[in-house]
Amino acid sequence: MACGSTSLWAGEATWFCCGNAWGSCGSAGTGACGTCQSSKHMAAWPNLSAACYDITRPDLCGEGMPRRTCGAVMNVKHQCSGATVCVTLADCGPRTKSFCGEATCCNGACRTNRVIDLTPSAFSAIGSLSSGKLPVYIYE
Amino acid sequence: MSPSQHSESGGRRLDRRRFLTTAAIGGATIVGASALGGLDADAAFAEPMPSLDTAIPAAFAEGRIVAINRNVLDVAGSHGERYLIQLTNATSVWKLRTTTAEAIEVGDGLYARGAAMPDGTIAADAVWVNIVNVYVTIRGIAKDRLHLQHGSAEVVGHIVPDTTTASYLGGALTADLSKTRIGQEAQVLGAWRPADGNIDIARVSLGH
Repeated sequence: MACGSTSLWAGEATWFCCGNAWGSCGSAGTGACGTCQSSKHMAAWPNLSAACYDITRPDLCGEGMPRRTCGAVMNVKHQCSGATVCVTLADCGPRTKSFCGEATCCNGACRTNRVIDLTPSAFSAIGSLSSGKLPVYIYE
Repeated sequence: MSPSQHSESGGRRLDRRRFLTTAAIGGATIVGASALGGLDADAAFAEPMPSLDTAIPAAFAEGRIVAINRNVLDVAGSHGERYLIQLTNATSVWKLRTTTAEAIEVGDGLYARGAAMPDGTIAADAVWVNIVNVYVTIRGIAKDRLHLQHGSAEVVGHIVPDTTTASYLGGALTADLSKTRIGQEAQVLGAWRPADGNIDIARVSLGH
């Protein structure tokens, strides 16, 4: 399946580690889909399943995000630089409800609420890991 | 001029990736200082990113450093891969803060982004050493540390003077951690300590 250009969502992207890796990642496992690896362009989506949605609850932040399941692909584009990465859904997250109202800005324009979590491989393709958050547009 | 911006060299405009691959091919061994200016990884992305040279494939590496030979990091990937990562004049290094290659040690974990070289090595554009970004629940608070629950694991997050900052519900960064509460959910970005598995906190983002 190829990444598309139809607008799906916008918000904050954060990053997380998964798979058999060093440090705090060691206990993370391969995610809800059983395929997640930090070194691949993968992502976590808040509405991967009903059980996932119960944990992340983006709706509590006004984000009625649609269901997308394991293996779905999306383009994630940095709001300001235009850098884009194509990712495959492999886990449930981020916990949107815990950070309602949080905003990340660039060039004076802000995106609000955590809507997607990227692996280090994917996040570093469009931004710096040390920033922790990026404002992004998501396409499918 | 930032390395993310264009620089004149020999009458030809060079983008960051072209510069670092040129530096790697040329055997440049100067690390920690740049002829092009600041090397902060965040600054590298502060400006709109120039189009990458499609003739030079991008590369990513993840793993632990098993040896350091001059300006080359020998890295064992977590899934059996092996990487040789070249540090050049244009490489930005992060280890709890923006730093220089001298701070990198054998045993450290890393993520590296760069360009794939013809000889199989990676010319690094940015190297993040021991960086972690974990979702936690705060279980205890002391003057110099936070006790954190990450999944089923308990981790100590060390508060580093002049470095650790906090953000409350997306607010501006502050050195004041006094509003941190037990039971609060948080995202901790910091540097993992290979010796004991704990974390030096760069930034803690407090949620609801």
